[in-house]
Amino acid sequence: MQSAVHWALLGLVIERPSYGYELAQRFEQSYEGMLELSGFSYIYTALDTLRCRGLVEEIPGMGSERQPKLGYRATAEGVRDYQQRLIAQMREDFRRSRLFARQLAVLAGEPELALDVIESYGQACLEEAGDALLPDVEDVCADRGSGLAERLVSQERRLAMEARLPWVDYARREFKALAADRLQPQ
Amino acid sequence: MSLLELDGVGKRYGRLDRRTVLRDVSLAVESGEVVVIWGARRSGRSTLLRVAAGIETPDSGTARFEGRDLRARPGATLGEGIGYCHRAFAAREGSPLLDQLTSGLIARGVPLTTASRRASESLERVEIGAWARCRPEELDGGEAVRAAIARALTHSPRLLIIDEPTIDVDVLARDGVLALLHSLAQEGVAVLATTGESTSLSGARALTLSEGELHGPPARELAEVVALMPTG
Repeated sequence: MQSAVHWALLGLVIERPSYGYELAQRFEQSYEGMLELSGFSYIYTALDTLRCRGLVEEIPGMGSERQPKLGYRATAEGVRDYQQRLIAQMREDFRRSRLFARQLAVLAGEPELALDVIESYGQACLEEAGDALLPDVEDVCADRGSGLAERLVSQERRLAMEARLPWVDYARREFKALAADRLQPQ
Repeated sequence: MSLLELDGVGKRYGRLDRRTVLRDVSLAVESGEVVVIWGARRSGRSTLLRVAAGIETPDSGTARFEGRDLRARPGATLGEGIGYCHRAFAAREGSPLLDQLTSGLIARGVPLTTASRRASESLERVEIGAWARCRPEELDGGEAVRAAIARALTHSPRLLIIDEPTIDVDVLARDGVLALLHSLAQEGVAVLATTGESTSLSGARALTLSEGELHGPPARELAEVVALMPTG
């Protein structure tokens, strides 16, 4: 299963059994700015895919007595696959970083082009670092479980830049030196 | 007109090698915003702050505070609009914190009772009022930074310049110091800081300084002006 939306949806079902409409709402709240649904109805298509693969199962009669709804909960296989997916995704992120560095190195003969790319990358890093919110210390003290996702996302954004900003600095120096070499008379 | 404006600032050190520390740096800082500049060691970040504070004059370009060229009165705006915090709280050993802050005000001609009250209020504002009778050497890293900020606040600065506010601060206390800086900005004080840690950039307009060159948004992005009435 390749779709990031499917895996993200499975994650929400693992977090809490839920029915279609509520899942669509939680999806928008939880993954805003990260993943997008093509439409609310896509949730039902995705849930059907997860069910066919044995990753979720139906719970009839969820919701109120007057308006029972078809709910979904994760199967043991769904939880295990989700865990494996997270590990694989992490490795994929590492691979992408290496690929980016390798592809940038191709521009050694055109250092000015590479510097433009680095400038844009550095700008994106700064925005990512600046947009990350400071965690609310009082909230953590009050209830460690509440706001956990927000805190983890915020700290990931903040700490990921601890390596990237010095890398941008380093790459800029390398390509500047190459650009300076090109200006030297042969 | 921005509160602080650096326009094409250049700075060199050394008599023989004339090492370039700042190259054509332009930056505008507005009231109520937090601007944090990330840079590796020897990137020129501390020099940039000293030029912004008017402690050092640029070799080229201009540094203006509230429209006035800082070169005209080097250092004169310190304590009169600009508060500058050193990395460490340089203190006279043995004197309690409150006395140190009070004596700084008295030296500027503030009457004793007023000076004492303002010093107490500043310590309360940075949440170390209970440490007023402590000696500086009894403070931990986070408390020492707060004390340095308190000393700057006694002069009611409109721009607070602070060099690496979290460098000697325990990891768990760093966010508290950053939250303090952001709360000061919410009260209208502009904050200009440097850092070597990406986590200090949170919630701020973030820039980087690399080999004396500034990268990132040199001015705050203002919301697009939308005409309420059709024009033309």
